[in-house]
Order: sequence, then C-alpha cells, then structure tokens
Amino acid sequence: MSEVTDQHGAALRTTRELAQAISSVERGGPAADALIQTALTRLASERSQNAVVIGVTGAPGAGKSTLVGALAERARAAGRRVAILAVDPSSVQSGGALLGDRVRVEERPGDEGRFVRSIATRGSGRSLSHTAAAASLLVEAAGFDLVFIETVGAGQADLGIVRLADLVLLVEGPEGGDEVQAMKAGLLESAHLVVVNKSDRPGADRAVERLRSGLALGHDAPEVLLASAVDGSGVAELLTALEGLAVTRSGGGLQRRIAAHLAAAVEARAALRLRDAESDGRLAALAQSIATGERPLSGAVDELLKG
Amino acid sequence: MAERTAPIRVLIAKPGLDGHDRGAKVLARGLRDEGFEVIYTGIRRTTEAIIAAAIEEDVDVVGCSILSGAHATLLPKVVAGLRDAGAADVLVVAGGIIPEEDRAGLQAAGIAAIFGPGSTIAEIATYLRAHVRSN
Ligand code: B12
Ligand SMILES: Nc1nc2c(ncn2[C@@H]2O[C@H](COP(=O)(O)OP(=O)(O)OP(=O)(O)O)[C@@H](O)[C@H]2O)c(=O)[nH]1
Ligand SMILES: [Mg+2]
Repeated sequence: MSEVTDQHGAALRTTRELAQAISSVERGGPAADALIQTALTRLASERSQNAVVIGVTGAPGAGKSTLVGALAERARAAGRRVAILAVDPSSVQSGGALLGDRVRVEERPGDEGRFVRSIATRGSGRSLSHTAAAASLLVEAAGFDLVFIETVGAGQADLGIVRLADLVLLVEGPEGGDEVQAMKAGLLESAHLVVVNKSDRPGADRAVERLRSGLALGHDAPEVLLASAVDGSGVAELLTALEGLAVTRSGGGLQRRIAAHLAAAVEARAALRLRDAESDGRLAALAQSIATGERPLSGAVDELLKG
Repeated sequence: MAERTAPIRVLIAKPGLDGHDRGAKVLARGLRDEGFEVIYTGIRRTTEAIIAAAIEEDVDVVGCSILSGAHATLLPKVVAGLRDAGAADVLVVAGGIIPEEDRAGLQAAGIAAIFGPGSTIAEIATYLRAHVRSN
C-alpha cells in the first residue's frame, strides 16, 4: 500500500492503519480531522486518477452484498484495487448492530488490493452513517481505485448516497419495480443504472420489462440490466456498464466526497444538538415557549442549533 | 481505563469445518441487543480469513464459536495470527463445546476466556466490557 503520512504522524500505510483510521473518524474529534486532512493532502498530490465510488442501494435482501462481492472479484481480477464499505443499521434501542454483509463476500486473506469494512449507521438514523464519506476518502487515499458503498437499502427514502457516490446502482429483486413504483420520486429517479438481480429465479425478465416501461415515461431513464450474483450471469456486463458510466461521471468526484463529508458533519452536529436538548429538557422547554407564544418557531430552531 | 465513547466491535467467527451456527447466531443477536457492534462472518472460515477480517474491521474482540472438536489446533492459530499482524491488543474469547481438560492449554495459548453451553449473554457481555481494550 502506498505511504501516506503527515506532520501529525498519522499514516495510512497498512491495512491495519487504514482500519484504525476509519475507527478514528467514527469516534470523531481532532484526530479524525487530522486524518481527513492527511487523506486530502495525499489525494491532492496524487497524479493518478481519483477513485470511482459506486453507491449500491436497493431493498433489503435484493442481493446488494452478494452482487458487490461478485463485482469486486471480477474487478480485482482485472487489476483494480477494490474496497467495499458496507453499511448496516444500528439499533435505536441498544445502539448495537449486527453487521452481516461480510457473510456474502468472499474473504481474500493476504490480498492487499482488497479491503472490506462493515459500518454501522450509529446516530444517523439513515441508510448511510455520518462517517461514510470520511471512510470513503480514507480508502481512496490508501490507494483503492474502485470503492463500493452499500447502503442499508431504505428503499425510496434516502438520498444521501447520491451526494456521496459518483454513480448509484439500484439493485432490484425479481419481484421488484411495478410501474407505479417506477414512476414515483425517490431512489429510482436518482439511480444511474438499475439491475434486476436473481435472474436465476422466475420472474426476473418480467421485472426488467416493468421497470423499463415505468422508467420510459420519464426522461434520462437509466438502463435496466439483468444479472445473477449467485450464478454469475450478467455480472461482467454490469461491471462494464458501471465502468462506462464512471468515465463520464467521476470527474469532480473528490470535491463531491468532500462536500458529502461536510454535509454529513453538519447533519451529525445537528442531530447531536437535538439529542442533547431532548435529554436535558431544553427541547420540551422551548416547545413550551412556542406554545405560550413567547418565542417564534424559527427563534427556537436557532437556539437549539447553537447548542 | 479511559471511558469508551464508541460501541465495542466484536467479530463472531466460526473457524474450520463446523456447521453448528446456532450458538454463534444467538450470541451475535444477543450482543447486538447489549449495544455491541457485531460483525458476523458466516460458517467455515479459515483462521487466515478470520484474522484478516478482524484487522480490516478493527475489532476489539474476536469471538470464536467452535463445536467441532478442532479447538486445540484452530484457536491458538487465531491468537498467534493476530499477534503477528500487530494486533495483540485484540481480546480473543471462545465458546461452544470445549472440554474442561482442554481449557488450561487454550488459556495458556492466549484465549482470554471460554464460555460453554448455558452461558448467558449478560455474563458474556459483562466479561467483554470489563476486559476489552480502552478505545
Ligand atoms: C443442534 C446440534 C446440531 C445441529 C446444528 C444446527 C445448527 N445450525 O447449529 C445439527 C443437527 C445440524 C448438528 C449436526 C452435527 N452435529 Co451437532 N449438535 C447439536 C447440539 C444438540 C446442540 C448445539 C446447539 O445448537 N446448542 C444451542 C446453542 C445456543 O448453544 P452453544 O452452541 O453451545 O452456544 C452457547 C455457548 O456454548 C456459548 N457460545 C457458543 N459459541 C460462542 C462463542 C463465543 C465467542 C462465546 C463468548 C460464547 C459462545 O454461548 C451460547 C449460549 O449459551 C449439540 C449438543 C450440545 N448439547 O451442545 C450437538 C453436537 C455439537 N454435535 C455434534 C456432532 C458430532 C455433530 C455432527 C458431526 C454429526 C452428528 N453426530 O450429529 C454433525 C456435524 C454438523 C456440521 N456440519 O458441522 C457433537 C460434537 C462433538 C464434539 N465436538 O466432540 C455434539 C456435542 C453432540 C454430541 N454430544 O456428540 N448438530
Ligand atoms: N437465487 C439468488 N439468490 C441471491 C442472489 N443474490 C443474492 N441472493 C440471496 O439473497 C439473499 C440476500 O442477499 P444479500 O446479498 O445479503 O442481500 P442485500 O441486499 O445485501 O441484503 P441487506 O444487506 O440485508 O439489505 C441471500 O440469501 C443471498 O444468497 C441471486 O442472484 N440469486
Ligand atoms: Mg447487504
């Protein structure tokens, strides 16, 4: 792995250092900021092309992890250095998480050109963690040139991945995508490519037709492909299509990731302020002051964001 | 010990050719509910794959579940592999079917604790919280 160090002594030389750096940005604070700065310095001085970052989303169980695993195998065989960041939800009750995406990905011990990391959403309550963008910058700085980010797969609701990734792949199952769903706003309209996975199962061809005809009612309809992560059919074509789109889409990718990191940090801080205000009673007190007409809503919002 | 701010990360691993995954799943789910971030890697993993996953995931704990009888050969390899990878600070614990007479040897080889059938999630969680590295 190529060397990265800065005046703080932070380094991303080995897999272990990269892994520890991701934990550090998850904890936050000055050490995390220094690591991101290190990564950015490295990326700014790097002559080679930036990484291609592919967001992978779609309903739970659609086959995102298995498909990413298959794509990663193929891309790695073609010489790409591939990283997978797989996000799974944290429990709101316990704060714990069961991170199970790794089960679907072939382990390749000893291959320094592959990196897989499971990330819990922690406080975000979304389909990405607040630290996904930071983790993406770190793996990019560590020399990975193809990065897959698998979201929780909240369906229509979450567009955070659109901000972060160079391009978004939506994975559907053979049951997915009736025409009305395809017409609704949401992830389908943000996807740059759609794949119906599990083509080894009955119904996948029809799902492709439904999605195509639904999408055709709009403009800039993404292409809809067919694949099976399990038997491997269509995976090569899918990777080719993704790499083709990346050529046109990945310009400015680094700026996009920095902006996504900044946006996530803002959201994280706002969420923290809100949690604090909830637990120390200020939220209730401010709500009361709105009820009595003592304070306008916008004033209360400013007050809360001040912390 | 400095107070931890982040959840404890635990890799639950099934080394070797052992298909008994009920205990591992019970534990994974139980520790999730105790506030741990649990990475489950599935059955039939080589010790090399377990070590590599532990490094990439930067876990605080590697928990091996083993009911196949191969504990004496496999578990010390996990400890040694982590040490060779510069991760000697990772706590290694085990559970499953491990006869009493084999335990002293495993503990000498660096397995911090062994939890057999009937162990409760609460006692395992309490042990991990008390013995894990600080952040
Ligand atoms: C259910 C079972 C099966 C099921 C497994 C289903 C599954 N998907 O898990 C089936 C029928 C498939 C099966 C098959 C076999 N089994 Co079987 N099986 C059992 C049985 C009856 C119960 C195991 C169980 O699920 N317990 C419930 C769970 C919750 O308990 P647990 O795993 O012990 O986990 C607890 C603790 O040990 C601890 N723990 C476990 N892991 C970990 C990890 C960490 C990190 C920590 C902290 C704690 C911890 O916490 C858990 C909660 O208390 C045991 C006998 C027994 N009483 O244990 C035999 C047993 C394990 N099987 C045995 C054998 C030999 C086999 C077979 C080889 C053939 C056979 N003769 O039946 C096959 C091989 C399967 C394979 N592919 O590897 C033997 C093993 C002998 C040995 N090790 O010397 C046992 C002990 C039966 C016996 N007395 O002979 N088996
Ligand atoms: N038949 C078939 N099954 C598949 C295929 N791809 C994935 N699966 C299975 O579908 C199930 C879910 O696959 P995952 O890859 O975990 O799906 P996911 O979208 O990552 O799921 P979450 O991360 O939980 O949202 C698993 O049992 C896979 O083995 C496929 O192409 N064909
Ligand atoms: Mg998944």
